[in-house]
Amino acid sequence: MTFFDQWITWLPQLSPGLTVSLSLTGLCLVFGMPFGLVLALMIEGKIVPLRIVALLFVEIGRGAPALVLLYLLYFGFPEGGIVLSAFTTAVISLSWTTGAYSSELFRAGLAAVPRGQREAATTSGLTGWPGFRYIILPQALRISTPPLASLAVTIFQTTSLAFVIAVPELMSKAYELGSYTFEYLGVFVLTSILYGAITVAALALVRLGERRLSRHL
Amino acid sequence: MIVQILSGVGNTLLITALSLVFGAALGLPLVAARRSSWRPLQLVASAYIDVVRAIPPITWLFLIYFGLPQYALKLNPITASIVGFSLIAAAYMAETYRAGLLSIPAGQWEAATALGMGFFSTTQHVITPQAFRVTLPAIAAYAIALLKDSALASTIGVHDITYQAGLVARSSHQGLLAFTIAGLLYIALSLPLALAARRVDKALRIKLEVA
Amino acid sequence: MHMELAKTRAESPPTVGAVEVVGLDKAYGKNMVLRDVNLEMPEGEVLSIIGPSGAGKSTFLRCLNYLEVPTAGTITIGNTTVDAGARPSRASLDHLRRVTGMVFQSFNLFPHLTVLENISLPQIKVLKRSRDEAHEISRNLLSRVGLDAKSGEHPSRLSGGQQQRIAIARALALSPKVMLFDEPTSALDPELGLEVLAVMRDLADEGMTMIVVTHEMNFARDVSDRVMVMADGGVLEVGPSDQIMTQPSHERTRKFLRAVLDR
Repeated sequence: MTFFDQWITWLPQLSPGLTVSLSLTGLCLVFGMPFGLVLALMIEGKIVPLRIVALLFVEIGRGAPALVLLYLLYFGFPEGGIVLSAFTTAVISLSWTTGAYSSELFRAGLAAVPRGQREAATTSGLTGWPGFRYIILPQALRISTPPLASLAVTIFQTTSLAFVIAVPELMSKAYELGSYTFEYLGVFVLTSILYGAITVAALALVRLGERRLSRHL
Repeated sequence: MIVQILSGVGNTLLITALSLVFGAALGLPLVAARRSSWRPLQLVASAYIDVVRAIPPITWLFLIYFGLPQYALKLNPITASIVGFSLIAAAYMAETYRAGLLSIPAGQWEAATALGMGFFSTTQHVITPQAFRVTLPAIAAYAIALLKDSALASTIGVHDITYQAGLVARSSHQGLLAFTIAGLLYIALSLPLALAARRVDKALRIKLEVA
Repeated sequence: MHMELAKTRAESPPTVGAVEVVGLDKAYGKNMVLRDVNLEMPEGEVLSIIGPSGAGKSTFLRCLNYLEVPTAGTITIGNTTVDAGARPSRASLDHLRRVTGMVFQSFNLFPHLTVLENISLPQIKVLKRSRDEAHEISRNLLSRVGLDAKSGEHPSRLSGGQQQRIAIARALALSPKVMLFDEPTSALDPELGLEVLAVMRDLADEGMTMIVVTHEMNFARDVSDRVMVMADGGVLEVGPSDQIMTQPSHERTRKFLRAVLDR
């Protein structure tokens, strides 16, 4: 069997793992990004206790390795009497990571809205929540979108960590395949190509989107 | 428990420090190639940088640790981790150097050339000191990222902080506590780096502004 | 013709007070940037504020709607009075901003909204107008500033002069009692500045009360009823525009005018 024949027989065995990796990524973005926005708003807000709580989430989420967070929840939940599947645990943990990193990007976006915009909103009577909701936030989100999209690609790569708590994602499937074919090298090269191809394609999309978004800024 | 987790600090630091040093060294020829005017060399360098960054670090580690022995290149976990992280760090460091070089306005090159300075003396006396200021905080940030990434070495059996915390968790049913300690330990280890970076950044900024 | 119109209005000034400022101070720490500024304006008057840069002209204007918080003094616009000494309530500030419209040097249109949305959004959110009503009013304002064809565009597609005219329309949409202009043409090429000045001239002719911080001496002389000269955070002199522009009583005003008119 040639290299490529092998790969073609392996692909169907890896593809369920890839599906799990992608759905894990999707869920982490769906939960993590709004969480990050909430964290950013709590940090920028004036209520001190909320700020402290949010800062703790962000500093631990960014300061500790994502792998440690994953283990922390994996061991921590059952010890606290909460029984969750490995997949759910991975979603929660990686959403925390996503939230912590994205909150910084949201904050940078908010800070990057020009001062004149706040002033124009104020003088147009758009103070408080309406001004924030209709003038500042949309512009901040637009500024944050390209780095958030890059973060999304990083999160896709980070889902590979879920392997350690036995979530059947791509890395896990690859390891499994390697351990009964003993073709570790070939299997992991193929796995790398899968990760790489999706990452490169996603980044190309990000760049394309970036150009469209910048049209009205 | 704390003692056992602390016993992993040595390996964590060893992998981080050596990978950073090797990565920093390997990054130099890489950035030179990336900026070379010979197109093929340039392409190879940017392909390397892109490929490394497009693949999760854990996949690299597995490729090296489990894959290479097929070709009789059996590395122990620590060596495999250092090789893996050095190769990854080289790509990131090359990009960091490049950002530093790009941050310098073309006018600096032109001014130095107009003053009759050659390529090497311009690089040494004009470009590098300025690029350094941009690069140093980025290197510190990457060092912190590398410290955290080094936790992945535990998955191929390196007895680092994360590995030790895992042992504690499995034997004592105190995983929450063990990994809280591990997490705080990583944060604590990255603090000096962050503070040093900030201090150096400030000092260099003042120096440059005065000059 | 415009000049004559302005003149007639100056000869028969209305009696209702539109703006009254008493003892306005503004300090950044120990640095006093405004010192005891007083101003009284009847409704329908057009006042130009001129003076060297750093005189505090823009700061004064921005204090009038509390973009800058004055350290002392009272501001009365229409029937709203705000006392800097008494920590004004949010409601009174909202009201102060409701009765003033502001036009910035850098336009500050909302880049993510179309021209029509820029003018309509404040009406919908602040005045609670229905979408249809707001759009109709916006379209009327757009035709007043000569830009009805641009309602669907985003600001980034328009010239600076067009953006500034839309910014004027946006401010007018809230039916302010007083319009504040902060160097509205300084960021524009001269020929684009002219189209903005033409809109402002029409507005003056319609009887809008206006305070204009400007470097356009022609506008100050021809359109405004009175001119206020500021220097070093204080008022040097205020008077009918003709008099200030031709026979100022202050030596510093003379020097300033000579310097800008020579340019």
